[in-house]
Amino acid sequence: MRLPSIPAVLVLLALLLLSGCAERREAGGPVTLVFKHAKIFGPTDPIAGLLREFEASHPGVTVRSEELTWTSDEQHQFYVINLEGATPTFDVLMLDVIWVPEFAQAGWLLDLSPWVTREELAPHFPAAVAAATWGDRVWGVPWNMNVGVLYYRADLLAKYGLTPPRTWEALVEQAELIRARERDPKLDGVLWQGKQYEGLVCNVVEQFWASGTALFSDDGRVLPDLERAAAALAFMRGLIDRGVSPGWVTAGDEELTRRAFGDGRAVFLRSWPYAMDLFEQADSPVRGRVGIAAVPGHVGGAAGVGTTGGFHLAVNRRTRHAEAAVALVRFLGSERGQRALTAAGVALYPTRTALYQDPAAVQAHPYMPRFHDLALVARPRPVTPYYLMISTTVQPEFSAALVRVKTPRVALEHAQRRLEHLLAVR
Amino acid sequence: MTARQRADRRAGLAFVAPAVLVLAGLSLYPGLWVLWLSLQQRIPIFGIARFVGIDHYAFLASDPRMWNAVRVTLVFTVASVALELVLGLTAALALQRQRLGRRIAVALLLLAWALPSVVTAKLFEWLYHPSAGLVNVLLGGRTLNWLGDPGLALAGLIAADVWRTMPFVALLCYARLLTIPGEVYEAARVDGAGRLATLTSITLPLLRPVLLIALLFRTLDALRAFDLMFVLTGGGPAGTTETLTVYAYRSLFQTLQLGFGSAIGVVSFMLVMLVAAAYLGVLRRAGATA
Repeated sequence: MRLPSIPAVLVLLALLLLSGCAERREAGGPVTLVFKHAKIFGPTDPIAGLLREFEASHPGVTVRSEELTWTSDEQHQFYVINLEGATPTFDVLMLDVIWVPEFAQAGWLLDLSPWVTREELAPHFPAAVAAATWGDRVWGVPWNMNVGVLYYRADLLAKYGLTPPRTWEALVEQAELIRARERDPKLDGVLWQGKQYEGLVCNVVEQFWASGTALFSDDGRVLPDLERAAAALAFMRGLIDRGVSPGWVTAGDEELTRRAFGDGRAVFLRSWPYAMDLFEQADSPVRGRVGIAAVPGHVGGAAGVGTTGGFHLAVNRRTRHAEAAVALVRFLGSERGQRALTAAGVALYPTRTALYQDPAAVQAHPYMPRFHDLALVARPRPVTPYYLMISTTVQPEFSAALVRVKTPRVALEHAQRRLEHLLAVR
Repeated sequence: MTARQRADRRAGLAFVAPAVLVLAGLSLYPGLWVLWLSLQQRIPIFGIARFVGIDHYAFLASDPRMWNAVRVTLVFTVASVALELVLGLTAALALQRQRLGRRIAVALLLLAWALPSVVTAKLFEWLYHPSAGLVNVLLGGRTLNWLGDPGLALAGLIAADVWRTMPFVALLCYARLLTIPGEVYEAARVDGAGRLATLTSITLPLLRPVLLIALLFRTLDALRAFDLMFVLTGGGPAGTTETLTVYAYRSLFQTLQLGFGSAIGVVSFMLVMLVAAAYLGVLRRAGATA
């Protein structure tokens, strides 16, 4: 990392001072809200239109929208620096679900409970509501939904008279059968995300659930059942050893695996809903050949359940305009606000279940009802302020088990020991 | 000291004051603040802020992840800087000999250096693509798992770093080569010196100061390497590409352990300062003998 040059820093300082003056002048008059959010990809930007609509219904309030940098890590870093520094440069923020309890515990978010009741959250997916609440208080309004799903090549499964697998064991059998009959060396069995990053944790957490255990138990214990967890990791490594998954999944992230499957080079893919829009594009080699199923369970374990993710909306506790900020959050999270996310080409999915049956939305994304069923039973990653600490600690250990640097058992014991040390300060 | 000298001195101090103030404000103050943070247990999400002295340093001393990060940082630095110097020097000598298209060659060299490192990282992500990547195709259609194999990932990153920064060394050396007068080589030829003798007794000794400067810059940069590994491997697989800066970043900004993360930053800073001091010593001696 290179440090910025001195002139650049001076210019920045000057700008900061100027913006500070501007804000003070506004305090008495009309309200300006600053909304920080990630860029939303699509042919049209749904946010600008929504904000104008909000301004029209709230005279005296203007909303300035500011885009965050692209990667999730950078967004988190931006928030940490600005919220810990207690600078009220933004009022409303879009944040990853896994940060909500952390920011809430840190005292950075406004408690929304006085405005947003449980009933108001009822129309959202239960997993999204679970991630927005912490310590019996509401800290965020769910905005968009993500859920881990299994994509399969419907044409290949139909060719051999197979139905989508409900267990990983059945998936392995099907993948081996199809690969043996197809005799295509470029066709892999199942792709998933095995790179040392957050995506790997999602994959492992799903395997833990399918094996009847968890990363973090409800009573706050880390890796409560080492035996089953080790078996789950060993199974994942076994997918590579048996040749059902290619060796490169240990470096695979969402895009790498999505492209390979999208080029027709795998029978199965574990990914997120955004991929389906890309598989159905006009020039896609797998267009019309992809089916969606729940992530598999394990024989002798539990049924498969996907992890959830997505983004929520929250209010900076240091805001000077709490009422207006809360109103904006509720508007964006409302049915009207979320409907804008279902427009054609926008690869974000709403958290309101009713929108999944909405005729216009279903026309733009015909597979929405299928995602609805899967998201309804899905579960969030552990909802705890310590989530990132847990995740970044287990990532290298899970990776070590997958690339055979450590046995699953040893990797998990190392993760557990380290986490117990880190969490001892609780 | 005469009154005139005193006045000069005052004027000198006045002129240097803005620079000193800016430097103090921009580097000394944050530096001391990080040192102070590293002596505290400070985790906003736990609401914890208390003085713990050298606790973090004691933990780091027996932390396998820390030692792994130190090892990765050193291996990365030594390997990438050594390769960059050798290849950069070779490229500079080749440029010197080249008659046609020298400008184009220099421009092409600059291209790699001018790319932002995040772009380089993305570029190599595709070059190292396990099935469609150019690297594997050139290796005869192998399916080497460059970024996912614990034995290959660090080597892959070193290669990417060498590709990106070798031109820096090459251009520095090339610039120096241009200033060596042709008569020197002519004299050598008259004296009957062969190509090898010319290289070892004229070119290399004259290049030495430039090479030392390049070595200093490149080493300090490599010790602080962050973006390549962060984008390409995230420190994986199994932490085999996690450098000190990546470890510090994860602790500081991802897990919000401001005290602990600062301690890693301080250790990393100490390492860089030690190396810098050693190099400056060598440079000063080289300057005295030159």
